[in-house]
Amino acid sequence: MAAPAYPAWVTRWVSGQWRNKKRPPTLRPPRTLALADKVANRREQSTEATCITEMSVMMACWKQNDFNDKPCAEEIRTFYDCVAKAEKERKNQNEDTLSSRGNLPSTKVNKLLKRFPQITHYV
Amino acid sequence: MAAPSAAGLGRRLRAWLPRIMPVRWSRYNPSYLEPEVKKESHQKPLEELTEEERQQMELKAVRPIKAAPPSLSSSVFSDPMISKFTNMMMKSGNKVLARSLMSQTLEAIKRKQLEKYHKAPENEKERIECNPYVIFHQALKNCQPIIGLSNITRGGKAYQVPVPLTDNRKRFLAMKWLITECRENKHRRTLMPEKLSQELLLAFNNEGPVIKRKHVLHKMAEANRAYAHFRWW
Repeated sequence: MAAPAYPAWVTRWVSGQWRNKKRPPTLRPPRTLALADKVANRREQSTEATCITEMSVMMACWKQNDFNDKPCAEEIRTFYDCVAKAEKERKNQNEDTLSSRGNLPSTKVNKLLKRFPQITHYV
Repeated sequence: MAAPSAAGLGRRLRAWLPRIMPVRWSRYNPSYLEPEVKKESHQKPLEELTEEERQQMELKAVRPIKAAPPSLSSSVFSDPMISKFTNMMMKSGNKVLARSLMSQTLEAIKRKQLEKYHKAPENEKERIECNPYVIFHQALKNCQPIIGLSNITRGGKAYQVPVPLTDNRKRFLAMKWLITECRENKHRRTLMPEKLSQELLLAFNNEGPVIKRKHVLHKMAEANRAYAHFRWW
């Protein structure tokens, strides 16, 4: 709706007609002054890479021992454990809970808002 | 008139396209259960079963069971890793040839190890491993890479990023490297079992070209460790 339908006395009062100070309308809302049922699309920041410290520790060990696996068995084991944990966490994370950084991506917010729309009319 | 029919035709063609490409899926009803092949699980007396196993048995009485695939066997000699390796060696569906090559390889390994065993002095005899299955498994485990590289594009340029691999991918890479090595880098007259047994014994001792290829991959991953942050998982 380009021109929102306010009652006539509102527009006259806002324009200052009653006070004999006719001005052009100060407020010219281009859209309805009401909350929409969706948020703007925001580019979600990608999550960080997991297990980088374990990987760098393992690579340092490799550099020292000429890339043999036998002396670095402990570091390799910790790396595998970290990878398995990260994989499990990725599988288990529920869709509707907050992400690791504490915010909800815009797509999920829109889905929720669609389920509970703003009621703008009288029944 | 032409436009709606063209749009409908496009939609119908798009819906039909999944049938053109072969997709691995199953025609079984979801109620079908997997077959249980291991003999030990069938020979257990009723009292020893846990609660969930009892429930599983009752479920099997009412639900239909899928047909067992021919690669699944209840024999003590069947090994899933060896079957997988045989399938990868197979060309044009010639499973008979692939299986015979595999058994000849295992026999060759056993012969070589026995020769070493009989020639070795008394104190070193225990250290020589003669079981070809053990040698096969250990060689494959030694060939598995720990970290892989994947192409990630950032700002138009593709980088090789070090990335952890899943178990399946590691096994696949180890088997693939072994097979390609044996197919390509051999003399024209040497047969596959001979070359494969040689490579497996070298890999068992952490030597040989396949282990070298694994080390090259690790070195490249180590050189590119600065790009590890490009990963998002």
